[in-house]
Amino acid sequence: MDMNSIPMVVRGCRLHPTQDVLLMPEGTLELNGPSRDVLARVDGNRDVAAIVRDLAQEYEGAEESEISTDVLVLLQDLMQRGVLRFRT
Amino acid sequence: MSTTPSAPDSTPRPLSLVAELTHRCPLHCLYCSNPIEMRRSADELTTDEWERVFSAAAALGVLQLSLTGGEPLIRKDLAQLIASGRKAGLYVNMITSGVGLTEERLAELVDAGLEHLQLSFQDLDEASANYIAGTKAHAIKIALAPLIRKFQLAFTVNLVVHRMNLDRLEQFIAMAEELGPDRLEIAHVQYYGWALKNRTKLMATEKQVHASLEIVAKAKERLRGKIKLESVFPDYFGSYPKACVGGWGRQMILIDPVGNALPCHAAAVIPNMEFDNVRAHELGWIWRESSAFRRFRGDAWMPETCKECPRKEVDFGGCRCQAHLLTGDANAIDPVCRYSPSHGLLETLRTAEAVNLPIWRN
Ligand code: SF4
Repeated sequence: MDMNSIPMVVRGCRLHPTQDVLLMPEGTLELNGPSRDVLARVDGNRDVAAIVRDLAQEYEGAEESEISTDVLVLLQDLMQRGVLRFRT
Repeated sequence: MSTTPSAPDSTPRPLSLVAELTHRCPLHCLYCSNPIEMRRSADELTTDEWERVFSAAAALGVLQLSLTGGEPLIRKDLAQLIASGRKAGLYVNMITSGVGLTEERLAELVDAGLEHLQLSFQDLDEASANYIAGTKAHAIKIALAPLIRKFQLAFTVNLVVHRMNLDRLEQFIAMAEELGPDRLEIAHVQYYGWALKNRTKLMATEKQVHASLEIVAKAKERLRGKIKLESVFPDYFGSYPKACVGGWGRQMILIDPVGNALPCHAAAVIPNMEFDNVRAHELGWIWRESSAFRRFRGDAWMPETCKECPRKEVDFGGCRCQAHLLTGDANAIDPVCRYSPSHGLLETLRTAEAVNLPIWRN
């Protein structure tokens, strides 16, 4: 995975419209901190770089390099859990 | 009645609602977990009654709805029920045998908002699968998989394993792989209902279970990133019980076809259980106050050994139905637990030499 990878949520997973949880077959994943904001930008079109740029605008004052580290860690974790894939 | 003081505000929030839409089913599995006395279809909850249950559940905090049966496809209003679940804000799963499912029907269900479909397989070859399911369902299911894959829908293949098929687990997994699911669940038969009556035929030997552990571990590695493999280790070979249904009255509400609310699908095997009905009571009251949900909630009911054991936060005292079925006392320590005075009972139920197995958690 790098800044040009395009993440997408796997089939059957979706964000809860109001609560901070990711819904999936027979399960839920609680989202804490800014992870909901990150996931809300995972649409199968934006690459990691675009997601980071977008978040940098939302979180004014935060360093883009810092955001990208956090985003990469989070996406990696979600991939490990089998809820994210990367478009190739 | 046992004392279970749980103030409404300390009541946990339920997360999942299992809706047994009907007990009617085209299959007759040897290990069917439905009550041996089936509910009559004329008494089944109506479309509107289910809709009310779904919104009440969502209001309590429930996120997941599992539509099951019997065979949910038998309900003519299934699409409407799915739509009501989604309208209430729930994630909608359906567990089906696939019998009676056509492309048109599936399109209708997906349009209504179905998000995840689970198809269960009884075995990998036609003859024995049909023997176990008591009908010719196997070929139908195999043909269904490519059809399911046409839709934007999560797809789980569930393999039910037991003594008669566990030796062929590798082929079983390979067969499931071909069907292209997102998830693959390997579940050992649970010994309730019919299965208890068929236990001697179905219970895997310790040797089989041990061999299967290795096969599952390898398959998990191989399928990583493609198919999510989940497996549940059979209770009978463990040293500690599982947190049955996530703990009694802690996460799950099951509503049977006529509206009775149960803390677990086998709860009716326990003597002196009284189940309140959604036709007579509000679901929130049932969850918080009904005797069935309070009976084994928290630790007041527990034997001293459990009360003082730190694992009570992990397993919540194990499975009450199992405790009752094996010891005759629903309040006893789950005999799967090594600290249970009846733990030796399991030895006699097992059929092969003892080996030390790892503790298996979900
Ligand atoms: S003693 Fe009770 S709480 Fe402790 S592990 Fe055994 S069943 Fe669980």
